[in-house]
Amino acid sequence: MLRDFIFASLLVIIILALTYLTYSGGLGDLPPQDVRVIASNYLNLTYNQGITWLWTASPEAVTAIVWDYRGLDTLFETVVFYGAILAALTLFRSVSKIPEFVGGVGLSLVVKRVTAIVTLAILTVAASTALHGHLTPGGGFQGGAIASVAPLLLLVVFGKQFFIERRISYSKLLTIRNASLALLGFTSVALLILGFLTGAQGYIFQNQAKTISTLSYPPYLLDVPLGGSLFFYNLFEFLAVASGFTLVFTILLSRDETLRKELEGEELGY
Amino acid sequence: MMDYVDLVFLIMGISALTSVLFTFLTIRTKDLMYAVVFSSVQSVAYALIYFLLLAPDIVLVYVAVAVGIYPLIIILLVKKVGRYEVMS
Amino acid sequence: MDIELIKFMFMLTVISLYFNVAISLYGVVSKINLVKKLIALTIFQDTVNMFTILVGYKLWRPGLLLQPPVLTDLSPTPETLKEFVERSVDPLPQAFVLTAIVIGLAVTLFLTTIVLHVSYHFKTVNVDKIGRAKRVYIHEEAV
Repeated sequence: MLRDFIFASLLVIIILALTYLTYSGGLGDLPPQDVRVIASNYLNLTYNQGITWLWTASPEAVTAIVWDYRGLDTLFETVVFYGAILAALTLFRSVSKIPEFVGGVGLSLVVKRVTAIVTLAILTVAASTALHGHLTPGGGFQGGAIASVAPLLLLVVFGKQFFIERRISYSKLLTIRNASLALLGFTSVALLILGFLTGAQGYIFQNQAKTISTLSYPPYLLDVPLGGSLFFYNLFEFLAVASGFTLVFTILLSRDETLRKELEGEELGY
Repeated sequence: MMDYVDLVFLIMGISALTSVLFTFLTIRTKDLMYAVVFSSVQSVAYALIYFLLLAPDIVLVYVAVAVGIYPLIIILLVKKVGRYEVMS
Repeated sequence: MDIELIKFMFMLTVISLYFNVAISLYGVVSKINLVKKLIALTIFQDTVNMFTILVGYKLWRPGLLLQPPVLTDLSPTPETLKEFVERSVDPLPQAFVLTAIVIGLAVTLFLTTIVLHVSYHFKTVNVDKIGRAKRVYIHEEAV
């Protein structure tokens, strides 16, 4: 009790000090007067048809920074996400091997019809957001997070029998996830391998042609900018994120007795 | 006369004050279902501020994650673990 | 366009975010239920991301309308490009926050499975009771 009181009063003192500091202009101008030099450089170069050895062929600056100018940061973020999902699935590894025989019928008929219509709409919106990531705000991760709502609704409304009947099993989802992550890694080194095979020079995470290497992904599709490798990155990230979330929800929405079987022999020490 | 720009910043200020109120209610309540609902309302206020700060990519991610996935995970946890916060 | 009102409202937003950080930090440290700590941790992460995006904003000037960092003209002339660079807000903090939101989500998912395991093992999610039980546990193993 005393510890909580001391902590709360300490926080209040710090907040009052920071408020006084911000109000009297100690942290600089709020809001700032101008963007920084590196940001105006990125904004100038991302769709500039006059400087084709430094552009990314996509008019959307944030997607170009995430997957092309700062591609290595996104690589490590994908690794962290993969590791966290892996850890969450390993903690319940015996649940995935137990076939659950449930006799549930789900909710009433009205809810089932409405959910069927809404699920189609959700999947369409998610695919459109992910595949247009280089032209409008959106991208792979946004589309994947939206698309993971649809299997969740189907699980809750129709019951687990729906998934078991259509044989959407745990190992199929795991295969989709691993395959799309492998293809994501392959897209980043594809031009390097092509450079080895034909004798030209290529780089890891290369998108368009630079001054010292002439290999590049196609920048236009008929007459709409395609963004080169950004389109493929968005597509594979969409599949990986949607299937990863579906796996975690399938495990966590099981029954209590099934989940407690994970901790079965622990009084005896294993 | 109120300009368009003044209106944008006025809405930003009001959303920020709303989010402080709902954060305080989230931490203080003893019923965990109410805490989840108050946290979602605070996330909606934050999404409005993100939109007014001209960041459309972040709005898409934030609405899907903080209003869709976080309340789902925490309601699952509350159902399996216990609804009320008991003092010892 | 009233510069004083704009600056005052912006300052009000920043100060209410300071209060959010304080309240959620108090919730993480001082509440004894594990699920309440998890909820307060998500609020803390969201507020810090909001601070990062506030850094990239720009001051309105009369005659200069701000724009998100998306180019809408598919074949721009150099004048259009220069106007886009003058008007747009900073895209770098938005790219960082995208990564940060994904990492926060991954950590929260992992913490959820850990809380489930802890609740099945100790039959409670009260941090004080778990501390007392573990003290008895360690004493029993040592004896």
